[in-house]
Amino acid sequence: MMMENIAFRSRRWLAGTALSAMLMAAAPAFAVTPADTLVEGFAIDDIITMDPGEAFELSAAEVSANIYDLLVRSDLADTSKFKGDLAESWTISDDRLTYTFKLKPDLKFASGNPVTAEDVAWSFERLVKLDKSPAFILGQFGLNGDNVAEKAKAAAPDTFVFTVDKPYAPSFVLNCLSSTVAAVVDKQVVLEHIKPVTPSVDYKYDNDFGNDWLKTHTAGSGPFKLREWRANEAVVIDRNDSYWGEKAKLARVVYRHMKESSAQRLALEVGDIDVARNLEPNDLDAMAENVNITIASAPKGTVYYISLNQKNPNLAKPEVRQAFKYLIDYDAIGSTLIKGIGEIHQTFLPKGVLGELDENPFKLDVAKAKGLLEKAGLKDGLSVTMDVRNSQPVTGIAESIQQTAGEAGIKIEIIPGDDKQTLTKYRARNHDIYIGQWGQDYFDPNSNSQTFASNPDNSDDGRVQTLAWRNAWDLPDLTKETEAALLEKDSAKRSEMYRHLQKEVLDNSPFALIYQQIEVAGVRSNVNGFKLGPSFDTNFVGNITKE
Amino acid sequence: MSAVEQPTMSRRGWLLSERPASRWQASLGRAYATWRRFLANRLGVFGLFIIIVLLSIAAFADQLATYSPVAGDLKNARLLPPSAQHWLGTDDLGRDIYSRIIYGSRLTLVVVMLVAVIAAPVGLLVGTVAGYAGGWTDSVLMRVTDIFLAFPKLILALSFVAALGPGIENAVLAIAITAWPPYARIARAETLTVRSSDYIKVVQQMGASPFRIVLRHIMPMCNSSLIVRVTLDMAGIILTAAGLGFVGLGAQPPLPEWGAMIASGRRFILDQWWVAAMPGMAILIVSLGFNLLGEGLRDALDPRSSDQ
Repeated sequence: MMMENIAFRSRRWLAGTALSAMLMAAAPAFAVTPADTLVEGFAIDDIITMDPGEAFELSAAEVSANIYDLLVRSDLADTSKFKGDLAESWTISDDRLTYTFKLKPDLKFASGNPVTAEDVAWSFERLVKLDKSPAFILGQFGLNGDNVAEKAKAAAPDTFVFTVDKPYAPSFVLNCLSSTVAAVVDKQVVLEHIKPVTPSVDYKYDNDFGNDWLKTHTAGSGPFKLREWRANEAVVIDRNDSYWGEKAKLARVVYRHMKESSAQRLALEVGDIDVARNLEPNDLDAMAENVNITIASAPKGTVYYISLNQKNPNLAKPEVRQAFKYLIDYDAIGSTLIKGIGEIHQTFLPKGVLGELDENPFKLDVAKAKGLLEKAGLKDGLSVTMDVRNSQPVTGIAESIQQTAGEAGIKIEIIPGDDKQTLTKYRARNHDIYIGQWGQDYFDPNSNSQTFASNPDNSDDGRVQTLAWRNAWDLPDLTKETEAALLEKDSAKRSEMYRHLQKEVLDNSPFALIYQQIEVAGVRSNVNGFKLGPSFDTNFVGNITKE
Repeated sequence: MSAVEQPTMSRRGWLLSERPASRWQASLGRAYATWRRFLANRLGVFGLFIIIVLLSIAAFADQLATYSPVAGDLKNARLLPPSAQHWLGTDDLGRDIYSRIIYGSRLTLVVVMLVAVIAAPVGLLVGTVAGYAGGWTDSVLMRVTDIFLAFPKLILALSFVAALGPGIENAVLAIAITAWPPYARIARAETLTVRSSDYIKVVQQMGASPFRIVLRHIMPMCNSSLIVRVTLDMAGIILTAAGLGFVGLGAQPPLPEWGAMIASGRRFILDQWWVAAMPGMAILIVSLGFNLLGEGLRDALDPRSSDQ
C-alpha cells in the first residue's frame, strides 16, 4: 500500500516535472546525472559543423580533441615540448624542409580500421582541398590543392612525410600540426559517405570529401566517438571501446547547451549538471562557499584589448596611443569585472606560449595621461567612438574605460552592436576604437605575433588583414622581425625575438592589451580528474571519473 | 441689488455661475468643474501626485542626487547592497543606483514628452483630416493607419531603431512612429460624430475653409478624448522605451536609462537583486502614476458623464 502510494506520487511528480520541462521548452532537467555519464553545461551555440577540416569554433575544437587523434600534441606539462599522439617518433631533415613521422604500431580507428600513413596523408589532402576557414594553418606551409598530394604523403604504411616550403622554426611547424585541423580521419569510412559535387571555378573537385557527412558524424581514432550533435541543444559523445590507448573511464559525455551563467549555476547547484563551463564572476563568487562544488581554472590563449584606428589623426599621435594605456583602470577591472575569468596581461603573447613576456608596466594614471594629451596638442580632450560588442565582460570594461578616459577629457561614445556588426566595421577599418578579443589560431607565438606585430601591406585592399592592418598601423620593421622569428630554428633565440616584439608593441602600438582569459568551470565534487588545458582543444574528458 | 451682492459672491460661486458674464468666465468655470470632478477621484489625484513628484525629481536632480550618475568607483563600491551611503545600493560599475534613478527620471520624462508632442498632433491631424474629408482621402489615410496598427508596437519600434541605429533620439522617433495610429483612430471617430452637426454646417455656410474648420472647430472637440488616451498611453511609452533600453537599442551607456539599468542588473538578479529591482520599481511607480492620472482624467473629461 505504502509502496503503491510512493510510486503513484513519484509518477505524478515525474509527470509534473516532464510537463514543466516541456512548458519551459528548455532541455529537460535530470534530477541526478547517471554514474557513467558526465553532463557539462556549456554554451555550444558556436558549433556549425563537426568536420575537423571545416570547424574553427572553440566548442567544436574541444569536442574534436576528444574524438580525433593528431600526429603530435604539445606536452601539457611543458608546452614548449611535444609528444607523439599517433606518431611514435619524428625526424626533421637538416634543411628543415622535410618532416618524417613514424606512426605507432597497432593503431585503430573507432570503426576498427587500422590507422595508416595513407589516412594521415588523405586527411591533409582533404583539408587543403576543401579549403575551409581553418585550412590556412596548414596552407601557410606552401600547401595547395595541386601540390598537397606530393607535400603530404605516405612513404610507407607507417611513415608519413610532410614537406614545407621554407625552413620554418620546427616548433612553429609542430605547433600547427598539433591543432585540431590536422586531425586524422578514417579514410575508408569517409569515402563511403562522399557526395558528388559539380566542379566549379572556386571548387574544382568532383566530390565533397565527406564534408557533408562529417558535419554531423565523426570518423576518428580518439577515446570518444560522436553519438549526436543537435544544434543549440546538446553534443553527446560515447566511449570508443576499441580505442588503441588507455580507454576512457566514463561511458558517455553530454555537453548540454546552456547559455546563461545563472542558469548553469542553478543547474550545477541542484546537480542537474556535473560541470558548468560558462560561469561569470558574480556566480563564481556566490559558489565559492558551496562544499559540493569545486572550481577548476586554466589560463587560455585569448587576450582582450582595445585598439585605436590610426586613420583617425588624433588617435595616430604617439602620445595619444600612450595616454590610452594609462587610462585603463587595470586594477579595478582585474579585481571586479574579470575576477576569476581573466588576469591582467599587457603583452600580446598569452601565458604559456613560447617567448611570453610577463610584464604589466601600465597602471591607471589620469594625470600622466593628461600630460601626454597636452603634449599631443589635445589639451581640451577629444571625442571618439568605441564599437562594443553587446556581451559581458566587454561592455562593462568599455563603460569603465569610458569613465576613466572621461576624467582625462576624452569623451567616448559607445556604439553597441552584435558580434557581426562590430566585426564588419572593424574589418573595414571604419572604427575609432574597438574593444575585442583575439584567440590564437594555433598554439604558437607566431599566431599572435603575426596579427599584432605585422602588416605587410597597409593599403585599404591589403591582402593580409592582420589586427595591425585593421587599425592601419604601419610597422615595416616589426613586420620583418616577425617574419624572421618564424624561420629561426633555435628555440631560445626565437623566444628572445618574440620578447623584443612584445616590448615594442607594449610601448608603441595602438593596442592596449588588458587581460588574458582564464577559463573556469564549476565542478561537482563527485567528479574527479576534471582538468582544463591551456587551449580549447586540450580540455580532455577521457580521464574523468565519477564517484 | 447686484452691486450689493457682488462682493459677497464667493470665487467658487463666480466660477460655477449659471450665467457666466464672459466667455472667459465660462471656460474657467468649465475647467473648475472638471478639476472638481477630478479631485473627487482619489486614485486620479494620487496619480497626479506621483507625476508631480516625478517632475520635481527631474527638476531638482542636481540637488537630490548624492553621487554622480555616470562615474562610479569600480574598485571599492561595486554591487554594494542598499546602505546609508548608497540608499539603493550600487551597480556593477560601482555607480550609485539612487542617483542614477534620479537622473534617469529626466530621460524618462524627455522620452514621454517628446513622444506625446510628436505622436499626438500627427495622429490628431491624420484622424481629423480623414474624418472630415471622407472618401478617398479617408480610405488612404485609414489604410495607412491600419498598416501601422497591424504590427505589434514593440516589434515595429525595434525594427525602426534597428534601421535608424541605437540611441535615445532614435528610440523617441521610433516610439512616436508606432504611437500615432490609435490617436488617428480616436480623432477620426470624434470627427465623424461632429462633422454633420449644425454648428459645422453654419461655419461652412459662413465660408470657412476646410482647413479652418478642421483646425478651429473639429480639433478642439477631439482634444479631451485625446488627452485621456495620451496620458493612458504614457505608461506604455515608458515601458516601450525601457524595453528598447533593455535590449540595448534605447539610451546608450553611460546614460542612466531605467530599462538599460534593468538589463545590466539582470545578470545579478540571484545575488544582487537591487541592481535590477530598483529601476524596475521606478518604472512601476511612474507607469502606475500615469495610468491612474489617465483614469482620473477620463472620468473628469468624459463629456457623457459631464453634468453641464
